[in-house]
Amino acid sequence: MISAQGLTKKFGSVLAIDNASFTIASGEFVFLIGKSGSGKTTLIRLLLRDLAIDSGTLIIDETDVSKIPFRKLPLYRRGIGVVFQDYKLLMDRNVRENVALPLQLRQVKQAEAHAAVHAALETVGLADKMELFPAQLSGGEIQRVAIARAIVAQPKLILADEPTGNLDPATAKSILKLLRQIHEELQTTVIMATHNAGLVDHSSLRVITLESGKLIKDTQKGKYE
Amino acid sequence: MNNNPITTALARMRRSPYQVLAAISIMAVTLFLACAFFVVAVGSQEVLKYFESRPALNAFFKSDLVPTPLQIETIKSKLSSTGLVVSVKYISKEDAFNIYRDLNKSDPLLLEAVTSGMLPASIEVSAKNPRDLKNISEMLKTENGIDDVRFEEDVVSALTHWTNSIRTVGLVAVGIHVIITFLVILLIIGLKLASRKEEIGLMRLVGATFGYIAAPFIWEGIFYGIFGALIAWGTVYLIILYSMGFLLGLLSGIPILPPPILFMLEVLGGTVGLGVVIGAIGGWLAVVRFLKQ
Repeated sequence: MISAQGLTKKFGSVLAIDNASFTIASGEFVFLIGKSGSGKTTLIRLLLRDLAIDSGTLIIDETDVSKIPFRKLPLYRRGIGVVFQDYKLLMDRNVRENVALPLQLRQVKQAEAHAAVHAALETVGLADKMELFPAQLSGGEIQRVAIARAIVAQPKLILADEPTGNLDPATAKSILKLLRQIHEELQTTVIMATHNAGLVDHSSLRVITLESGKLIKDTQKGKYE
Repeated sequence: MNNNPITTALARMRRSPYQVLAAISIMAVTLFLACAFFVVAVGSQEVLKYFESRPALNAFFKSDLVPTPLQIETIKSKLSSTGLVVSVKYISKEDAFNIYRDLNKSDPLLLEAVTSGMLPASIEVSAKNPRDLKNISEMLKTENGIDDVRFEEDVVSALTHWTNSIRTVGLVAVGIHVIITFLVILLIIGLKLASRKEEIGLMRLVGATFGYIAAPFIWEGIFYGIFGALIAWGTVYLIILYSMGFLLGLLSGIPILPPPILFMLEVLGGTVGLGVVIGAIGGWLAVVRFLKQ
């Protein structure tokens, strides 16, 4: 479970996240919406502890995120799968090596890692493209690789920061479908930041709306307004 | 799936040969200086030891005098009682002639011109410390029958001065080069880190530890050190072997050449060790600096 109380983050004098409070149950799928600059990415980065929390509390599965010591951050982050708008794949590594990266960090044995990578790529429908490099794939396929990388270590939480931002509507739909499928099959908590109104409106899922860093609306089966 | 920092470091080095060449070159120059200065310093020390351990002072009796055993014993015990000498040896007129004959055996004319009666008897004194030679000399000059006292004070003091100078100059030069090498390694590995900024950023976000990120870069620094050390040591050894003829002539009679293999292997170990330390610390500092930004 994720619980934020009075969560605040400032960049200089700008309040990027302003006293936000919310609770997300384990296994929930939540959209994070808002205009550009509303604080969606900042909130994702706070959840990942890529940014330090200025005030308030953020507790994820009984761990106070603001109090995680620097040396334990890698271990904390290994429990989270992340999908970025710009994919962040390593261009000099093939699909298999990109997906295997989180397992490498965990020192997983080669045979075990190979099986996990294969399973993750099966899930995203790219098992036949393991040996290709990112430059040889389409935008949608690259994002699927990034999703495979996010799920390969079976995290309890997936943070997706505008994963469909660079994709055409049809591919964006298929990516959302894939994330929902993973969420249902693995019971993973998914927080997806987006400003794709169509995706949100057709999903009938919980929507948290941010505006200028403030959480202004939190609705079940919400719509993009 | 390459998870080995050593093979990752070697693969990255293969991809940027010019940066690697620059890093290894500066490392080799620094380690060459360190290695060369060390070898020269040790050599000078050995030469100094050789001169210090020789009978460093000769007191000659008047050439027409044959000292009595009592006279010799008196001088010997006086010298021993000072506590400044290692050994005292009496050289009779006959001994002196034998030495003269050995030295000039290839020149019959010189042998014919000299008889044992013409050469003075003498006393050879080896001092514990070359600085005491002057005092011993002054003491012997006051003894009856002593005509002249000669010692290698100048050679020893010049060598001591020379050895100290080599140490000082060597340490300063090597120190400056070590700093320059650190900066170059920092710069080169820093460039490599910057070119992998996105990759490192991603690794941090998916849970890579500092060690996981830093290890290949530290290994890269270590490899620069090892390759640089091998080049430096090889060059120094080749120079010694190449100039052996000249050096043997220069150091005639001083048994320090050729340098023992074991000594040269120890020098190799030291040079590689210094290179590894410079490279590893340079790589580590570059990563720390980059991750703090």
